[in-house]
Amino acid sequence: MTDFAGLLKSLASAEVEFILIGGAAAIAHGSSRMTEDVDVVYRRSGENVVNLVQALAGKNPYLRGAPPGLPFSWDEETIQRGLNFTLTTDSGAIDLFAEIPGGGTYDDLLPHCVELSLFGVVCLCIDAPTLIRVKRAAGRPKDLEAIAEIESLLAEEDD
Amino acid sequence: MSKELRVDRMPRTSPDPVVEAYKKNIDRTLLRENLKLTVEERFLKHMELQRFADELRRAGCEARRKQRDQRGQQ
Repeated sequence: MTDFAGLLKSLASAEVEFILIGGAAAIAHGSSRMTEDVDVVYRRSGENVVNLVQALAGKNPYLRGAPPGLPFSWDEETIQRGLNFTLTTDSGAIDLFAEIPGGGTYDDLLPHCVELSLFGVVCLCIDAPTLIRVKRAAGRPKDLEAIAEIESLLAEEDD
Repeated sequence: MSKELRVDRMPRTSPDPVVEAYKKNIDRTLLRENLKLTVEERFLKHMELQRFADELRRAGCEARRKQRDQRGQQ
């Protein structure tokens, strides 16, 4: 089971600059669809990478789906050499993106966020219209179903 | 003069027929219930559902194993 609270608290308490996207963001907006992981876009500044390393260091992050025993170190150098990481941790699965199709980087997404207060922390979450745009850009069949639900949620809020 | 061939993924403005078809099957009563909750309550509910799904998977796995064992004994 994914410990959403634990992951969000770790990121926020280490002062990581991140934006919640994906299925978890859809839940925040009222979705009833299940998701197994936390997807975030992180700011790719030197200081933020340091904070990101610190936030997850105690949770044994490892490449999800990779065979055990691969030489993988969770450190600043690893993050600087890559962009996006799909990780498994002691608190569940987390995907870290430096940039996403249809949304861009952390700074591109910043004007399209809402602030969430939950589990004693404050974090940024992609707003519903931008989440739709990002899911449309991803273009997977499951995203079209998710878009239908988010658009229905927006219609409910308008009613 | 060369022509550049580009495929841009522009945001769609007109309704997508596939999305519209999916909308017909969405249970809006579930969405209305979710919208009554705070964001934190939505996540707690989701984690509870995940626990339930894990328990169902475990029970299903156990049931299938028992079935196999019974078949093996016959």
